[in-house]
Order: sequence, then C-alpha cells, then structure tokens
Amino acid sequence: MATINATLSVSSGDLSSNSLSLSNTMTMTKAGTNTGLEFSSGLIRRKLTALTEIDLVTVGAQMYGTPTAAGDTHLSANKLYIKNTGSSSTDFVAIAIGDATGDEELLAAGGSSKVTLGNLYGGEWMIIPFHGTANNDILVKPSTAEATTIEWMLFFE
Amino acid sequence: MATTTASLTLTSTDLFDDSLSISNTSTLYKAGTTIGLDQTTGLTRTYVTATTQFDPFPVVKGATNADENGRVYIANLSEEITEFITVSIGDAVIGRLYAGDFLWMPWSPKLQHVNDLEITPSVATGMHIEFMAIHNYANIYPDSADS
Repeated sequence: MATINATLSVSSGDLSSNSLSLSNTMTMTKAGTNTGLEFSSGLIRRKLTALTEIDLVTVGAQMYGTPTAAGDTHLSANKLYIKNTGSSSTDFVAIAIGDATGDEELLAAGGSSKVTLGNLYGGEWMIIPFHGTANNDILVKPSTAEATTIEWMLFFE
Repeated sequence: MATTTASLTLTSTDLFDDSLSISNTSTLYKAGTTIGLDQTTGLTRTYVTATTQFDPFPVVKGATNADENGRVYIANLSEEITEFITVSIGDAVIGRLYAGDFLWMPWSPKLQHVNDLEITPSVATGMHIEFMAIHNYANIYPDSADS
C-alpha cells in the first residue's frame, strides 16, 4: 500500500465580507478501509489538436490496468486528477462523463448519455472520485483546434 | 470582482519508486474572462440522517444558466471509514467520497434535472457533509420570492 495525500486550499480576501480560508487534506485509501490506494496511471500528458472529443479514461480498458469499478458488489475509491496546462482564459476543455457515443445531456432509456460537468480553462485543474462503471467514461473535448495540452492521473485500487 | 485562489498538492513518497509531487494554483475566473468569480453559496455544513438523494445546489426550475463556470467543493466529513456519499450529475455517477474524501471540480449547471449535482449518503445513521460553490450562476437557489 502507498500513502498518497491530496491537499486542497481555497482562499479569498474579498469574495465575502469576511475572509475565506479553506484547507482540507485527504489520504487516498481503498474503499471502506485504511489501506492506501496502490496503483496509478502515472501522470499522462497529451496534446490535443482537434475539436474531437476523446475518451480520457475508458472504463474497463486495459490501458494501465483495470481500475476496480464501483457498484453493488465492488466498492472503489478511485480518484482522478485532470489539468489544462494552457494559459488561455478563453480556450478550455469541456469535461463530461458518460457514454462517448451517447447523446449530450439526454437521459436515454438505455443509459446511453453523457453529461457535461464543466470546463477547465488554461491553468485550471480538478480532482474527483472515479466510479468506473459501464457508461461512465471520462470525456474531454477542447474548445479549439489549436494545441491544447492536458495532464491527468488516475489513482486506483 | 473578487480574487479567489485554489491550490492542490498531490504527494506520495511510496506510490512509485520515485516520489510524487504535484502542485497547482489557479485563480477562479468567470468563464472566458480574467474577471474573478464573485458569488458563493458559502460553506455549508450539514448533518444528513437519511439515504435520500438531495441537490446541494438546486437549479431554479425553468431557468437556464449559460456560459457560466463555477467551482464546486464537496467533502465527506465522516470518520467512519465504511461510510460514503455518492456524488452524481444528472443520471451519471461521478463517484463515491468515502470518509475524509473531497472533490473539487468545475460545474456548469444548465437546466434543472439536466446536470444537477446530487448527493446520496450511504447510511441513515448520520453523516456530516460540507459543500460550497464559488460561481457566477444566475439561476441557482435561493430564487426570487413567490416565483
């Protein structure tokens, strides 16, 4: 097992009338245990040069091992980090979750849909749990065909 | 405009043969600008005692949020390692936050029920949860009175 720590700090002196200072640290453990996550995709860096949506993390694919999927019989506490390494305040990558072949934002009867979480502009990043079940791929689509470099890293059981 | 910064560090000395150390800081801007996000829900701390799914940031019925891009923080403060919350968006599960886990992500809410964020606790025995959005959304609650 490994000890992996993630610390988030958010601060502002003028967002509210009083200062905001939030700090939280989590140690990434396997679901329901104190045992640390022990696998990782490594820090992946990729340059995108088209408006094409890509499947960042394909559920079940043997790209860098198969993360344990969450579900009724399998619990998982996988974590996914994504960063847009650019510096543009206008260009972004849209992050979605769901079936890459599904219709945007539609709740298809067969579960074939994808939902946009939000956009990462230049320099922005995110860290979320990764469920890893069928139709829960993580999808990324640049807003520009100019080169956009993203980095991501999956920590998994 | 406000200046809000967020930073994340990821560290490990034993995940790889070499140490892992990633550090990032970003300023929170409105979509497509360098103007700081200027609204917040505040940091909500709640104690949930049911396994009922709920919306931490309800989108106003019939309203549309467009070209907005806030940031969302959700944390499971439970100290019981088997307890988790399931975080979903629309009909898609993002994942589970076990005791002590948090997430930080962009969120662009559109119509109600399209990509609402939702939280489902795993137990009804009581669990503390924190959440906050820093944003420029026009249409999340609280809404205009009598609407």
